[in-house]
Amino acid sequence: MDRGRTIFVAVLLVAAIVAPFVFAERAEFVIDSLFLIFLYGAMATAWNVLGGFAGQVSFGHAAFLGIGAYTTAILQPLGVSLWIAVPVGALLAGLYSLVIGIPAFRLRGPYFSIATIGIGEATRLIALNWTSLTGGASGLTLSAAPPIVAQYFAALALCVGAVALAAWIRSSRFGFALAAIRQDPDAAETLGVATTVAKTQALFISACILGIAGSVYALHYLFVSPGSVFGFGTSIGFVIMPIIGGLGTVSGPLIGAVLYSFVRDQLAVSLPNNGDLLVFGVLLIAIVVYEPRGILGIVDRLRRARRRRAPAAGEAA
Amino acid sequence: MLGAYITWWLFTTFHLHPLLAPLIIVPAFFLIGWGLERTLVRRVLGAEPIISLLMLFGVWLVLQSLAYVIWTGDSRTIEMPFIESTVSALGMQFAVPRIYVFVMAGLILIALQLFLTRTYLGRAIRATAQDRDAARLVGVDVDRVMGIAFGLGIALAGFGGSLLSLLFSFTPDFGRELSLKSFCIVVLGGLDSIVGVAFGAISLALAESFGVRYMPASLQNLISFVVLVVVLIALPKGIVGTLRALRRG
Repeated sequence: MDRGRTIFVAVLLVAAIVAPFVFAERAEFVIDSLFLIFLYGAMATAWNVLGGFAGQVSFGHAAFLGIGAYTTAILQPLGVSLWIAVPVGALLAGLYSLVIGIPAFRLRGPYFSIATIGIGEATRLIALNWTSLTGGASGLTLSAAPPIVAQYFAALALCVGAVALAAWIRSSRFGFALAAIRQDPDAAETLGVATTVAKTQALFISACILGIAGSVYALHYLFVSPGSVFGFGTSIGFVIMPIIGGLGTVSGPLIGAVLYSFVRDQLAVSLPNNGDLLVFGVLLIAIVVYEPRGILGIVDRLRRARRRRAPAAGEAA
Repeated sequence: MLGAYITWWLFTTFHLHPLLAPLIIVPAFFLIGWGLERTLVRRVLGAEPIISLLMLFGVWLVLQSLAYVIWTGDSRTIEMPFIESTVSALGMQFAVPRIYVFVMAGLILIALQLFLTRTYLGRAIRATAQDRDAARLVGVDVDRVMGIAFGLGIALAGFGGSLLSLLFSFTPDFGRELSLKSFCIVVLGGLDSIVGVAFGAISLALAESFGVRYMPASLQNLISFVVLVVVLIALPKGIVGTLRALRRG
């Protein structure tokens, strides 16, 4: 990381830490929006570890969010400390990912992706029908929310932790293995990458982060239902955010999360009936066709164009 | 999904008989698929495989949300005497539309099989699917073949949707479940033979129909997924592939 970028990240971080003390009393809306951005950012980063780094596009990641959310929603009213409930949720999500990974990673590319639709759907159906545990379609209500500032810092910590982990993975041996799998699974295998193991590890990490995110989600909304946390729309959101920002990068999912949460709020009002998905669908096609690296790719292009122009201007002068 | 909606829409607005709808849908969808390949798919061919997957996911998102905007999320059915008519044979009652759909599906499968194995174009499609570069080397016009294959795929999906609209009620989310089921069938039976596809379809249909006896009906859609997982773990080559391996070995 160069110096400019380090300073930029530090400033953002300080701003994020100071923000609740500046806004808490006057504008809960700002805190709420920032909270959502951090939460979405963590989710998008988690998805990106498997989808972006390893190129395994999953349409069923809501399953892990749901397991985390439900674990907390079930344990919290029983009086279990959150310090226990949240890690248990993460662990359960992780274990579930291992159970799923074994059959799913026998499939490749698009076939894996179709199977993940099934995983998400099957998990939602289980949650919907296991009424004694999950309350069925009517969902579960939590007893009391932690103060908004606490929620805010939980989301911030989760997001920073997820991004830091992603940054570390990307520059580690493990990250290179994932990149090799993305580019060519056969070549990776030939070069000695244990592809199934690496993919399963990426899925596990991704699932654990989403499990924690699910707990934070449940504690924020105080209500979970199969349609919300296990819904297919939730999984779609995980896919869209990293792609908008920049697939397989560290900061891309964050940028995508900012845009996604903002645009979605705006569109939900002006375009009911899934209008937001229409916009995101068009955006997705445009990005994939014209700039598969997302917003980061566009920024990169602009920067290069400016650099090319700068020496030319110097010569003229 | 779109096939079902267009059949419904032609029926309600133009009073077109649902059985005639495929006459419009199949050519129209062929053109749509061909155009889609020309304009979008072609651009991402050289990129990593997930890119084309994501692009088609985007296309699907757009189509589905357009369907929500145009037709809302209410479930639709085609209502007419033909749909409710039955015939009795062998002392049992059969629903006419079901028999019709069964016969049509069988005919399409056979026609497709003949097309893919007996005609030049069909063989070219299979060669391109196996290895695009090698197909080009032996003189296949790969660009044209890909367009046709894509159009054909979309046309058949539209036809399928149109047929399904005779049997079930549908919503814009109708296609997701079905693509999972078709995938399950392919994994079960293998794609290389008509027997495999028919076999996979029959196994899944039986599993679903009988599964409901032993579990709540709301879990019916879970069956295809469970079957998929079991097959992937126990019989990674699919049922037909396993049988073939057994026969050989």
